Amino acid sequence: MAPNENVAAFAEWESTLGRLVRRATYGPTAAEMAKAKELGFQGYLNYQLNYTRINDDAVETAVASKWPLLAQTSDVLFSSDAGQVRQQLSEATIYRAAFSQRQLYHRMVEFWSDHFNQDMDKVGYLLVADMRDVIRKHALGKFPDMLKASAHSPSMLAYLDQTQSRNTAPNQNYAREIMELHTLGVDGGYTQDDVAALSRVLTGWTVQGRGNFVFNPAIHDWTAKTLLGVTIPAGSPSLGQAGINEGEQMLELLVNHPSTARYISTKMLMWLLTPTPTETQISAIASVYKATGGDIKSMIRAILNDAWLPVAPMKLRRPFHFLVASLRSTNPTVTTLTTINGQLNNLGQALFAWDTPDGYPDKIEYWAGNIVPRWNYANVLSALKSTTSLAVDTAAYLAGSPDAAVDLMDQNFFGGEMPLVTRNALLTYIKGGTFNDTRVRETLGLAVSANAFQWY
Amino acid sequence: MDDRHEEDCGCQEYNELSRRQFLTSAAAGVSAAAVFPAWLPKIVMSKAYASNRDIIVSVFMRGGADGLSLVVPFADANYYTSRSTIAIPKPDDARTTKGINLDGFFMFPQAMAGGTVAGTGGLMPAFQATDLLVVHATGQLNTSRSHFDAQRYMEVGKPIDPALVTGWLGRHLASIPPLNPTAPLRALGVANGLQKTLVGGPKTLPIADPTNYTVGGAAATQAQRLAFMQADYAASEEPLKSAALDATNTVNLLKSVNFTGYQTANGAVYPNTSFGRALRSVAVLIKSNVGIEAAQVDIGGWDTHSAQDPLAGSMFRTMQDFSNSLAAFYADVIATGNSVTVVAVSEFGRNVRENGSQGTDHGRGTVMFAMGKGIAGGRVITKNWPGLAREQLESGQDLKVTVDYRDILAEIVQKRLGNPNLSFVFPAWTPTMLGVTR
Repeated sequence: MAPNENVAAFAEWESTLGRLVRRATYGPTAAEMAKAKELGFQGYLNYQLNYTRINDDAVETAVASKWPLLAQTSDVLFSSDAGQVRQQLSEATIYRAAFSQRQLYHRMVEFWSDHFNQDMDKVGYLLVADMRDVIRKHALGKFPDMLKASAHSPSMLAYLDQTQSRNTAPNQNYAREIMELHTLGVDGGYTQDDVAALSRVLTGWTVQGRGNFVFNPAIHDWTAKTLLGVTIPAGSPSLGQAGINEGEQMLELLVNHPSTARYISTKMLMWLLTPTPTETQISAIASVYKATGGDIKSMIRAILNDAWLPVAPMKLRRPFHFLVASLRSTNPTVTTLTTINGQLNNLGQALFAWDTPDGYPDKIEYWAGNIVPRWNYANVLSALKSTTSLAVDTAAYLAGSPDAAVDLMDQNFFGGEMPLVTRNALLTYIKGGTFNDTRVRETLGLAVSANAFQWY
Repeated sequence: MDDRHEEDCGCQEYNELSRRQFLTSAAAGVSAAAVFPAWLPKIVMSKAYASNRDIIVSVFMRGGADGLSLVVPFADANYYTSRSTIAIPKPDDARTTKGINLDGFFMFPQAMAGGTVAGTGGLMPAFQATDLLVVHATGQLNTSRSHFDAQRYMEVGKPIDPALVTGWLGRHLASIPPLNPTAPLRALGVANGLQKTLVGGPKTLPIADPTNYTVGGAAATQAQRLAFMQADYAASEEPLKSAALDATNTVNLLKSVNFTGYQTANGAVYPNTSFGRALRSVAVLIKSNVGIEAAQVDIGGWDTHSAQDPLAGSMFRTMQDFSNSLAAFYADVIATGNSVTVVAVSEFGRNVRENGSQGTDHGRGTVMFAMGKGIAGGRVITKNWPGLAREQLESGQDLKVTVDYRDILAEIVQKRLGNPNLSFVFPAWTPTMLGVTR
């Protein structure tokens, strides 16, 4: 079917504050909306941006106890079961996104983990450090810092075959992707010759031991190179570690390139605001990038403004967003997330499993067709009452009338902005049978399945 | 917008599609001409389509399949000098592990040939019955060696163009009336997300596992809950609206299909692999006569950078999965007379010379396959074998692409799928028909 990338929001979603909450979080719960109303538009945006001031101890304590491998050194991870490492990283990622109050921060963690996508089938445990030291460390920091951290990340260097590259046989994979996908964009004005030259600049950037970045002068190409208008004179092996400066110089050039400002701005606009950003919007955010040295917070502040948000189209939640939103809305007691994590595979977005470096698409035409697994998942989740994995509690819904139960769903699932059409459909369903635990669970499943819950 | 489109189009959903898009654009206050979407057919639908057109099963071999191992040019001596550790011995070799001669120049490795009786695995029976065609030194003209660029270009059916987001098979479906006007599902991609090949196809869904396509929960309330979705998503927006409505209908449709009790014809046994299970599900759907006219199925494992070993290792197993699954499909579906054409492509081939780790790196030319009663098979065709000597290779390393894959697909789209709109299915490409169909 034809992609319509400009879907007008529900009439009930007109409040600018509500729009901000939907864009900045994995779902507007009652508590989230209350917080936003308390702080006001700018206050709430500042609160989410200044994320280190939001106490996250409870979440990190839970992560440390449920998924202890993530705190381990590369040496320990190397000899750990690869499936366990993967599962722990995936479950912790879901848990943080769902239960941390640093919501905007985690929305950006997701964004950057696609921007710097890596397939765990290829990089294994190395990704644990990348997610910690590159993505989570810089998600709301400065883009140049993140790009440089990524270029020194053993996981990234392994993923894009930089570790295979040497002066006698340069591998162009990383050199190409760092320009095409990480900085300039495919139309950013580089040539195949630039790719070849950058691959030679980067020879020697590699990984040692269980996951340590090193520059190895012995496999560096010391001949002269010219790329993107810059000439790097010939060096010699006697320069040793100084040879890394060629690459550092080029990273600096890339992050300061006008194409990078535009490309990163365009992608962030598409993620946070609209699938079809205008030239005016792109230029405005690119200017912020240039003026602030790629400060991600400043760019987000400029994107999520009260003039653009009211006219932004709805976006379709990707499966991870949808699944995390469902956890926030049903607020279950979590012992493990193994069942939930397994469902991401059916939904089509198993974490750290997209094999190509472009990351999971953020395109409605890619995701819209896979709707039945969402309905199936909604049913699985709402029926869960396991004390050993996950339990959705229905007591609050059963405490009053069917109308009160749907009112509560309005609060928990839509922050009080449930579209009328959804409310009426849920009311009809919940009243269509005996009002009991089973009926309430089915209705919760339908709230997760409903059209309105797929959008933000 | 050209009004002729709607007048001449015999296809109701296409009319709805274009009208809806027009209204959306107009409502947004934007000139319709300015946003005329690239996916919209600029074609004139003929009223007279062949009613007996084939169903198509399109296979993508993801990862860059080594055509020189799949169908080996054993008579080109440079094959053996280029591959000191991973070459497959000639058909007349004294060793027992060796190739099986096809035409005196090319051979199948044992993993591809299999046995000689249909249904027992391997593709030799289909080849001998002249229902399997191999095209060699084929691929795409764009020289990208990036998996995802090359896959995207091949699936879209046109390189580079960022405005074109639909796939060639999606555009085929969008430019021809349904085989069965009441079918809720015209095409499926056996995948979690719709493969680019199929994007743009009406009534087309990704279904990772057709045998378990359900909303779950208590059977007693399932119909009621599906009715909820049907009503709720009727107010949604495209493409979610159509996808959801097609999905509710498809859930009901697939419920009526007996996957578990399915008995194959000719004793065919599908391997219990994701590719084998996918083809089995497609076979069940085809034989259930529910109106499916296209399926996209993927098989991975072709990115053989190291320890390729086509005689017993990873490449052997991948080829065996590929050939045994297709052999089962051949015996079960095609040999029994169903009008089905299978095509299999890969984004690129691999370097002619093996690398330092007994594998091969990303290359260019490779093979593609076409199979069906309407395919002029039993042959390996190339346009003047370009040769494997260093000076004959592209960039000194790769088998040249002598046949654009679109020439093969276009002929099949026109002659076997009955769709004359080739310039819409493959924009900016004038195909050369090579006589691959009968």
